[in-house]
Amino acid sequence: MDHSITFTTADGSTRSVTVPTGVMLAEAAQRAGVEINQPCGGQGRCGRCAVQVAKGEVRRRSTLRLSAEDVDAGWALACQSVVEGDADILVPEQEKIERRLTTDRTAAEVQVPAGYDYAADQTVRRVTLSLSQPNMDDQTDDWSRLQTALRLQAGIENLTVSLPLLRRIGAVLREGDWTVSAVVDSAGNRLVELEPGHRSPDEPLWGVAIDIGTTTVSVWLVDLVSGQVRAQVAEYNGQIARGEDVISRIIYASKNGGEAEMRSRVLDTINSLVERACKRVKGAEPGQIVKAAISGNSTMIHLLLGIPAASIRLTPFITAINTIPTMNAREVGLVINPEGVVDCLPGVASYVGADITAGVLSSGLDDADNTTLFIDVGTNGEIVLGSREFLVTCACSAGPAFEGAGVLHGMRATGGAIEEVWINGETFEPTCRVIGGGKPSGLCGSGLISLLAEMFLTGVLDKAGNVNLTLPTPRVRQGEHGPEYVVAWGSETEDGRDISITRVDVDNLLRAKAAIYAGFSVLADNVGMPLEMVEQVLVGGSFGKYINVEKAVQIGLLPDIEWNRFQFLGNTSVRGAYLGLLNKDSRQRIDDIAGKMTYIELSADNSFYDAFMSAMFLPHTDMDKFPSVAAALNKP
Amino acid sequence: MPIEIPKDKWPGSIKAVTIGATAAEGGTRAKSITIGGQNTMPYLQFEKPTPNTPVIAIEIKSRKPEDWSPLLEKPWGEAMADPAEWAKKAEAAGADLLVLALTLEDTPDSAVKTVKAVLAASGLPLVVWGPGQAEKDNELLVPVAEAAKGEKVVLGVCEDKNYRTIVATAMANGHLVEARTPMDVNLAKQLNILISDMGLPMDRIVMDPTTGALGYGIEYGYSVMERLRLAALQGDAMTQLPMMVTPGFEAWKAKESKVGEGVPEAWGDWEARAVNWETLTAMALVESGADVVVLRHPESVKRVKAAIGELMAA
Amino acid sequence: MALSGIQIYKLLPQTNCKECGFPTCLAFAMKLAAKQVELSTCPYVTEESKTQLAESSAPPIRLVALKAGTEVKAGNEVVLFRHEKTFYNKPGIFVRFKASDSGIAAKAAAAHAYSVNYVGMDFVVDGFAIEADGDLGAAVKAVRGATDRPLVLIGDAAAIEPGLQACSGETVLIHAADASNWEAMAALAAKYKAALAVKADTLDGLVDLIEKIKAKGVEDLVLDFDTTQLGKWLAMSTQVRRLAIKQNFRALGYPVFAPAYAAADEGIFAAEAIAKYAGFVVLDKFVPENVYPLLVLRENIYTDPQKPIQVQPGIYEINSPKPEDPVLITTNFSITYFAVANEVEGSGLPAWLVVTDAEGMSVLTAWAAGKFDAERIAKAVKGFDVASKVSKKRVVLPGHVAVLSGELEEELPDWEIRVGPREAVDLPAFMKQALN
Repeated sequence: MDHSITFTTADGSTRSVTVPTGVMLAEAAQRAGVEINQPCGGQGRCGRCAVQVAKGEVRRRSTLRLSAEDVDAGWALACQSVVEGDADILVPEQEKIERRLTTDRTAAEVQVPAGYDYAADQTVRRVTLSLSQPNMDDQTDDWSRLQTALRLQAGIENLTVSLPLLRRIGAVLREGDWTVSAVVDSAGNRLVELEPGHRSPDEPLWGVAIDIGTTTVSVWLVDLVSGQVRAQVAEYNGQIARGEDVISRIIYASKNGGEAEMRSRVLDTINSLVERACKRVKGAEPGQIVKAAISGNSTMIHLLLGIPAASIRLTPFITAINTIPTMNAREVGLVINPEGVVDCLPGVASYVGADITAGVLSSGLDDADNTTLFIDVGTNGEIVLGSREFLVTCACSAGPAFEGAGVLHGMRATGGAIEEVWINGETFEPTCRVIGGGKPSGLCGSGLISLLAEMFLTGVLDKAGNVNLTLPTPRVRQGEHGPEYVVAWGSETEDGRDISITRVDVDNLLRAKAAIYAGFSVLADNVGMPLEMVEQVLVGGSFGKYINVEKAVQIGLLPDIEWNRFQFLGNTSVRGAYLGLLNKDSRQRIDDIAGKMTYIELSADNSFYDAFMSAMFLPHTDMDKFPSVAAALNKP
Repeated sequence: MPIEIPKDKWPGSIKAVTIGATAAEGGTRAKSITIGGQNTMPYLQFEKPTPNTPVIAIEIKSRKPEDWSPLLEKPWGEAMADPAEWAKKAEAAGADLLVLALTLEDTPDSAVKTVKAVLAASGLPLVVWGPGQAEKDNELLVPVAEAAKGEKVVLGVCEDKNYRTIVATAMANGHLVEARTPMDVNLAKQLNILISDMGLPMDRIVMDPTTGALGYGIEYGYSVMERLRLAALQGDAMTQLPMMVTPGFEAWKAKESKVGEGVPEAWGDWEARAVNWETLTAMALVESGADVVVLRHPESVKRVKAAIGELMAA
Repeated sequence: MALSGIQIYKLLPQTNCKECGFPTCLAFAMKLAAKQVELSTCPYVTEESKTQLAESSAPPIRLVALKAGTEVKAGNEVVLFRHEKTFYNKPGIFVRFKASDSGIAAKAAAAHAYSVNYVGMDFVVDGFAIEADGDLGAAVKAVRGATDRPLVLIGDAAAIEPGLQACSGETVLIHAADASNWEAMAALAAKYKAALAVKADTLDGLVDLIEKIKAKGVEDLVLDFDTTQLGKWLAMSTQVRRLAIKQNFRALGYPVFAPAYAAADEGIFAAEAIAKYAGFVVLDKFVPENVYPLLVLRENIYTDPQKPIQVQPGIYEINSPKPEDPVLITTNFSITYFAVANEVEGSGLPAWLVVTDAEGMSVLTAWAAGKFDAERIAKAVKGFDVASKVSKKRVVLPGHVAVLSGELEEELPDWEIRVGPREAVDLPAFMKQALN
């Protein structure tokens, strides 16, 4: 029996075709001359051929990548849907599909916390003062005069002041003709800055939230008055040149002069990021930044401050300090206002630092009603499980692979990075999406996850991660670094060289994902909580915004539970620093979190090792834990 | 009130695997042997009788081994230089199964010739091991598999880095494979998955989770085997395979067996100690779930065989 | 049933006061669950919680200790399979003498003097059994002249009593009470505060006897299944352990006696007994070549499996190396060792593999924790006297610790230090290309 199928494309044009029962929608479209992209080769895996059935019905063989709501709304995969009657089909613009499939799982842009009130919540504030002029009768000294004005006009008493600032006071008062703006740190009762003249109350007062990751440093430039994030910048941590992981850095630091070098390397990275952020915002200058909140793992914080970190790596793994007093920028070495307040957030243990306490705050885990799992995917994977009632945490060494480091053609998630890949299951030809849309220059974390999943599902890799060199495609080959798969030929890339992924890269990625999976499964085991009972999974990490859940599940990085239980938070560490920077109550909550978090040492018995070995497979040795992946593999 | 005997009811069973083929089954073996099939932890006959008796294999080599203990030359003598003779003597010593280990000196021609000679000399089912180097194993085992087509030989050993060629030839020629992994539950399971992903039916895989000798890591092998068996009984299909281990190889590597002089007096008589070393290594593995133990000394064979008989008789 | 950390946490004050020495109440609860700390360390726990927690921690298998100059303990086990946690109390290995044997004192002295070293540990025979086929009082005195280790006395009540009198003040195991003699044996055990073996060939028979004997005030009991048939003994021993652990069935929650002296193949039976839950194993006679493997087997089975899986540090020969062949360095984590050894073995290339004591950690982990540094590597190279085995003084470091090469040069001044690949899989290629 023949059926009439009408396709309507995004530009409103329609084309009709008559086909017999049993023909695939994709084929019908092709006969009608309507183009529908199928990067995965019509295997129902990429979801890019999704179309909407406006009238009539089709038989959906598979709805993988479509939610129940999608299907209710008429969505169907053209490559997986069989014509059995007349139908009208809407073919959306390809780009829109892509966005529809990914945007709902990404974090929103940074929003100022609801109800942020600069006057009530912020510890630094700027006040404009009009001082009485001195004369022969009133020979009060400048500092007392300023203090009096502060007391009478702003209610601020007992301030301290540094010598360098004291040296400038007289000149500033006179330059402003006895009208000045003072920036005061009310938490430390300290005068931070004094400027001549009057300032509008709306004029920005600058602060920075900083996250020092082992691999990536992020800086947010924040207007403390409005609470708005005005610029976000990130760069690889300059310490990488002295080791990719914290251990190498600790060892380097503990040898002849290494401590000073490590400190200056990370300071250089931070200071240049601060400068870059300021350049993006008209009127902002590093010297005007009066407060910084710094998050990072315990080693990073120690190295930043030049505190010996050697004991962190040696049994019984003790930090020099977890809760760090407030300091000023001059002593820390930040190139912002030298009197600026520097607040390093508190950590819990050697391998659970401020990045996690800040992360927990920004995830809201400490206030969750239901048991929630928080996974921070970084060079060190840190994991927290808990709710309002309890918090347990552990750390596992994942390596920098998901940040694009330690992988031959890896890079950060910036312009030119391949962030998603589809591989055709018959030709083994890849299709890539590149950040910024230009020629690719490497693979970022989400691209690597996506690539690994595709290579596995198309049989380019066996479940152990071995490249199948017997496939009939020149893209698998014995390369300089062992077996590899070529993702982009030199003719297509930015710098003209092939972009490939090697067996060693695959091993690094497997180790990274296995460490993280093992970490949270053992943590859950430790408190006697099956993973299925976790009601919410929050994923943080510098690539957290772009990650594709389906692919992360397919490689066994994330547990195979309903997708709607996942939430992606992006870099929770810098976000936590941002919240702590803005609001003193939030800042107090970070201290509370650090106080109640229980750290579990994974090396105490063999269970982590077992779980790790079990996870060193695609997606996992125990396929029963990954029913959706098993289903995807068993499809014809 | 009488005590209720606590019986575990397991959802899973070990696959029954048949090695060797008689004339009726398309080969030339005097009889085939079937191992596996259990639905209990080892020998807990009060829950369910053990359906197939675990067996003893004797290891022989294609060439006279240079590095074997002189204690092993006593029982085997001149036969060690002639695989066919050795095979006959091993059968007479009580072997249920022969393991023929090829060596690096073998060529495809010599390997095929030796395998044919052993098959002609003894009616026991056969396991053939390559010399243990990926390329050489593949080079020798493919012609051997073709020459022994239909005999349901076990080809060994498949490892995670080298399994494709051996599995492919086993599939093409109706043989079985031995899947060896280094003392880890997950690695054992992973290799079984990789092999079965190629399409070889599960009842043609025997897994070798590896063991250490008594005093040299036997506890790891012991626990890995217990865990594999437990996982299988709990229903994990990818661990439901009979297990073959090599206590003979391991025990005779140990100083306690290998060396007769310059050792502590407290070790006692060399020969009795050496046989004890092999026997107790094997016995511990039998208790933890071995379906095939590969041994070297006839006295150990006799003792372990008697023990298995007692365990089966309960 | 043992409570999990979270369950215990709910019974604690949850104030995170830190006075117990742990950072949070949950951390303390998890230590409690692992039985690594006493509940009394918490100053604020309620009486109600105390009661609940005490119930969950009572051992399902009674601890029975035989005491003389030394002590042998059995019981208190918590698992069926060693990988689930560990087996705690190694079964005592005893050697049997006969009271009628005129050479008993000399035999006891020889067995007592026996000591064998296994990887740095000295093993001895734990105690002795004396069968009352003659004057037991005299025999005990003769044995006591040679050894102060615990005794098992075997025989009927009348024959045993003189033996007990000869070693008063000790805790002896007397063997065995059965349906015919239990009253006399129980009376004897009560009188001399001895542990009593109870013998029956069915579980019902054992329970029946135990109930009657307990009524006479004897608490320290040991079970004898009246068989050495391997299959039957395995079945009964398994059933007893299961009842105790999985069903908390206290009536049979006692250690098990393994009469290896009565078995057809003593070594085989003793091996089964060690693997499958025996508390006391009695051998027929003292023969070093039989005792040594059993002592090693016991040590292996009772090794804590939660400790990292290690191989013996030392120098390993792969593919029969000659003096000119390369020296490779790795750690004693078993998986690391296997990865390296298997790759090299599989390549057919001969090599010396120096396995350092890195406390069972992999190369990177050990390096991170300071257990695999230049000093330790140098110590291994010197300690295993590698120099005497090779003609070329050159060692190959794992690529992951390339950073150590400089320091190692200082530690081993007359050696050439080479940095190998990071992954074991690349070793054969490296050995072929870079080491020639």
